[in-house]
Amino acid sequence: MYLLEIKDLNKKYGNKKILENINLKVKTGINLGLIGPTGCGKTTLLRLIDLLENPTSGKIIFDGINTSYSKKDKLQIRRRMGMVFQKPLTFKGTVFHNVAYGLKIRGENKDQVQEKVYRNLELLGMDEYAERNAASLSGGETQRMALARVLVTEPDLLLLDEPTSNLDPLSREKIEELILQLKKENKTTIIMTTHDLIQGQQLSDEIVILNHKIFQIGKPEEIFRKPQNQFVADFVGVKNVIQGQAILTSEKLTMIKKGNITLYSSEKGNGKVFASIRPEDISLSLEKLDNSSLNKLKGNVIQIEDVGAIIHLKVKVDSEIFTVYMTRKSFLDMNISIGETLWLEFKATGVHLFQ
Amino acid sequence: MSEIIEGIYQAINLILTLNPEMLEITLRTIYISLSSTLFATIIGVPLGGLINFKTFKGKRGLVNIIQTLYSVPTVLVGLFVFLLISRAGILGELNLLFTPTGMILCQTILIMPILVGFTINALSGVEKNIEDLAMSLGANQFQTIYTIMKEAKYALMGAVILGFGRAISEVGVALLIGGNIRGFTRVITTTISLETSRGNIALSVALGIILMLIALVINLILNIIQEK
Ligand SMILES: Nc1ncnc2c1ncn2[C@@H]1O[C@H](COP(=O)(O)OP(=O)(O)OP(=O)(O)O)[C@@H](O)[C@H]1O
Ligand SMILES: [Mg+2]
Repeated sequence: MYLLEIKDLNKKYGNKKILENINLKVKTGINLGLIGPTGCGKTTLLRLIDLLENPTSGKIIFDGINTSYSKKDKLQIRRRMGMVFQKPLTFKGTVFHNVAYGLKIRGENKDQVQEKVYRNLELLGMDEYAERNAASLSGGETQRMALARVLVTEPDLLLLDEPTSNLDPLSREKIEELILQLKKENKTTIIMTTHDLIQGQQLSDEIVILNHKIFQIGKPEEIFRKPQNQFVADFVGVKNVIQGQAILTSEKLTMIKKGNITLYSSEKGNGKVFASIRPEDISLSLEKLDNSSLNKLKGNVIQIEDVGAIIHLKVKVDSEIFTVYMTRKSFLDMNISIGETLWLEFKATGVHLFQ
Repeated sequence: MSEIIEGIYQAINLILTLNPEMLEITLRTIYISLSSTLFATIIGVPLGGLINFKTFKGKRGLVNIIQTLYSVPTVLVGLFVFLLISRAGILGELNLLFTPTGMILCQTILIMPILVGFTINALSGVEKNIEDLAMSLGANQFQTIYTIMKEAKYALMGAVILGFGRAISEVGVALLIGGNIRGFTRVITTTISLETSRGNIALSVALGIILMLIALVINLILNIIQEK
């Protein structure tokens, strides 16, 4: 049985087509990963599903009910879904007040609210935060609170919009664990967006590759092994693989050496390893920036490939060649040409290790 | 200088001895300005909410007009209401001229733009995302609006305090519509203006201090409510 069916869905903002001809069926109980580059319409699709936005054309059918009907129906359907927004949001007041919100507006009694709120806060390791002012939470804590706020309402469909982007590794791990746990329980259907392929692969039963249109739907291994088209192939193409020697320097940090290049990864590794850095995770600057990224490499531009809105650069660092993406705008702003010296920066969390 | 010191002394004296006329004028002042603030809030906040949440043609223009009315001279409003409620006016039958009720009506009209305008400001200052968040968590339309109002609580309180401040401190309406009738429509501001013109400076200073104290106490009370 399908919990959600999307038929011939189109969404325009003004004249701009954001989503085109989306057809999607989501089985009850699965985890669906929605993956695509930035600006491809992931958030828009989730907002349409959550009935916060109206489609330009097409249908969204939730549990057999066409959602384009009356306001009252929409409210009832919306109350069976829950969404964690990409940008963390809080109501003024305590963490408890925030998490209790969904229950209170459903008219649940005080004891029940109390019990459910604490149970869910505990689930996310936040029971001690209940009386804290929600505005004083860190980004990671806010995101965990947002998840608790949605989970208390026990939604049939959980929509997670990049639930772990911009989070510290600990919060990220907590949230990933929880998603896996929900997946095991098989009660909640989850649609989760990410631009992180590895995360999508780890957490999803099925993956949708989206870029305004759907380019492929399939099991993670199908997407990676048998991309159906150039876009998916390019998109999942693993780039920037470096083979080197790893030493575990502390609990949370591995140092990888290859020639004159030293990389730091927050994943564990020892001995001979492969490290991969997704081009999307690398930021570029003309000068060495003073920020928290552990990895800062200096290199020279050896190739510029213009593929539309995104520019692909090949940057030579020592004997390695890195592929880096940048938007046309920042490419023009920085006025980059071949031979230019650039700094590549990426966080230790952006360095993936495998044997 | 000595008049000010004498005024302070007299104020303390008036307050400590609970001078009956003083008390009566003070209570009437509070009664009239609180009532008009209450009415302006009851009408103005929902009206501001309505204007904020609806999209319609001419919304910007309307908001501009409302904002212009913040600073409309009180005598002008007084004059307008005077024409309305005087014998020959449309509401002449109600005999509101030179009554506290007339003053309340007039002050309500006077501070209404502040309540409406600042409500619009307060509500539009709440992130659009909060509306989505409330709806996404299952709030119906009424609950969503209530949530946004709560988010804007501080700014809304500010509007109420400002409206109250304008009501209690103005003198034009109080004179024109109230007529400064002793024991009936006399309030602190009109008494001050009368006593000053009579050369009774110390008494005026005393009344002024009491007026400030009232404003202070009311603000404190509203602040305490705000903290809740
Ligand atoms: N309300 C809106 N009005 C106009 N354009 C919009 C609106 N909302 C989104 N867009 C545009 O639609 C496109 C898709 O946005 P969306 O937020 O869905 O992307 P996304 O895939 O979630 O990106 P990201 O990975 O950066 O979160 C973007 O170009 C965005 O600027
Ligand atoms: Mg997004």
